[in-house]
Amino acid sequence: MTAANRSVIKPRSLPRPRKINKVPFVELYAGRLQGVVSSKSDIKRVYVSYFEAGSGNFYCSTNNNRPCGGLRGSPCKHLQELLGEALLQYGPERIINYMGLDLDPTKVKRGGDLLRGFKGGPHKVEAGMVFSRFLTYLHYVNLPPTAAAIPEMAWFVR
Amino acid sequence: MSFADLQSIPEAVAAADEALAALDDAFVTGFGRLSGANLEALAGLQRSFAATPLGAAFTEAIAGIARSEFVDRHFLVLAAARAALHGAAHDALVAQACAALGRPAPAREAIDAGASQEPPPQIAIWLESTRQWLMELALAGFANLEVDILLPFQATLDAISGEPRLARQAALLSGLLGEFLEVFPCRGTPEVPRQRWSDLWTRAMVLSAAPPEPIRSRPVKGELRLLGADVREHDNFATLVAYAALYEAGHEDTPRLVRASASAFKVDVIQGAELGPLLADVAGTLLAGLAATKKIAIDGMSLSDGGDLLWDDSKAKLGGAADPLAEAAAVLDAGKTPAARPTLAPADRHPALIEEPIYLASYARADKPELEIDGATIPLAVDRWPTSDDLSVASLDGEHGLFGLLRFDAGQWSIQPLTALKGRGKGKLQMLGQAIAAGKGARTSSLATLKERASKLLRQK
Repeated sequence: MTAANRSVIKPRSLPRPRKINKVPFVELYAGRLQGVVSSKSDIKRVYVSYFEAGSGNFYCSTNNNRPCGGLRGSPCKHLQELLGEALLQYGPERIINYMGLDLDPTKVKRGGDLLRGFKGGPHKVEAGMVFSRFLTYLHYVNLPPTAAAIPEMAWFVR
Repeated sequence: MSFADLQSIPEAVAAADEALAALDDAFVTGFGRLSGANLEALAGLQRSFAATPLGAAFTEAIAGIARSEFVDRHFLVLAAARAALHGAAHDALVAQACAALGRPAPAREAIDAGASQEPPPQIAIWLESTRQWLMELALAGFANLEVDILLPFQATLDAISGEPRLARQAALLSGLLGEFLEVFPCRGTPEVPRQRWSDLWTRAMVLSAAPPEPIRSRPVKGELRLLGADVREHDNFATLVAYAALYEAGHEDTPRLVRASASAFKVDVIQGAELGPLLADVAGTLLAGLAATKKIAIDGMSLSDGGDLLWDDSKAKLGGAADPLAEAAAVLDAGKTPAARPTLAPADRHPALIEEPIYLASYARADKPELEIDGATIPLAVDRWPTSDDLSVASLDGEHGLFGLLRFDAGQWSIQPLTALKGRGKGKLQMLGQAIAAGKGARTSSLATLKERASKLLRQK
């Protein structure tokens, strides 16, 4: 029997827990590695950062769409922090596969090692595209728990 | 008990599996671009269903889809047909298991439907958009999904997950969407878990057919003795299911088996012990009883006709020390296993959801992930083995008994251990889910950080 004929399949790779103080949100979504990075100077400000698969483009701005000052043709420190945390959460293999990077996973030890895989340049996108995903993410921790029987969950194993 | 009888499966189940695999190929290809082989498989299924109550509707659905008449009703019929085949396979397999284990089939309790309230009208609207989305997926085919089809559903899902009456739908749909988004967008040929995604699609369609009926239940009073627990989880939802013997007041000499669940929405970085506080919000006493291995007294708690307790902390009180394995041995003894034990509603039946509680007094572990029981070899349900250290394969040394669930998937029976004793002498109790229940050893406090962010940001929205 192959995986095609199984109902219950243990996921091959699982996101790992990590400290989320500096980078509260990282995800691989819709062909992007994206997330939210806290500002070091202003507790109320967050930076919204993304890398795009294929083009290798990237961008970083505040959630109010102000471009990040550190973004001068090359990825800023927020984008580098994003890569570091993505590496902790997903591991090199999953990121390299998802983003289609031409890198050897055994040689990727730090976020900076992933940087070499992105050949594009800064490309402006609306911060809302990523920020709304963060709100969706936060929505999940704000929902009430339930004691109802959920038989369907027997399909989901870890 | 003869586990040897579980080394093969009923012929009808194998035949149903083959028919379903052919149907599932159509889900992978996409109903909008069926091949000759797909159409032949559908015609074959149509003949199989001809004499059943679904026969006419199935014929109409296939003809409609062939005419490119893409309406959700046709796809609902496909889902119903697929679910019916799985329901029949479930029943045949449970009958096989009960015969092998020398126990009566589990029986649902006859409980009258209570007064039901009209569900809010938006529920029907959300379920309709879910059916529409599921139809689009089926038309495109699981191998050809694009983010353009996947992303817009998030808005419906957000609405569904905010409605407590749709917790089942939310748990399933968020898990399914998450799996799709992990694979797509895909460069090259995607790896499609054909049966799994067809299963999840089918269940989602069936659950979207109509607003949920209220659960039939009655209040119970008595003592709960936990036998074991299982944890089920995807990135956005976690469920702890506990199995227990219930000694109902006035019926102390005929215990029955019940299930109790605690579930919570979550995000990917919240895992392991961090789930404890989330789940304790709805079932703190249940988790405390599991963590400290204690009995729980309940009074006035609702028990459903399928044997599920609707946990209510205000109706539960922690009691004295419990001995889960001794209790499992007593209540699951061959010939004594009660028919009053958890079972699924007919529409929910599926082989992968069979969880027949078992107690093994003696067994041996082979080098492979298998158990030797009375000369029969039954594999361990390794895919269901959780990534936690509550219960390790090494602790299944055959020195003591174990409590677990008899499972079925991919054409074979397997055993999922939940509670065991490790080591020589009296041994040390190992229960799955205990570390989560205790909520100890959480390495991070992601939950608190995210809740704080949520309170600031979501309020501004």
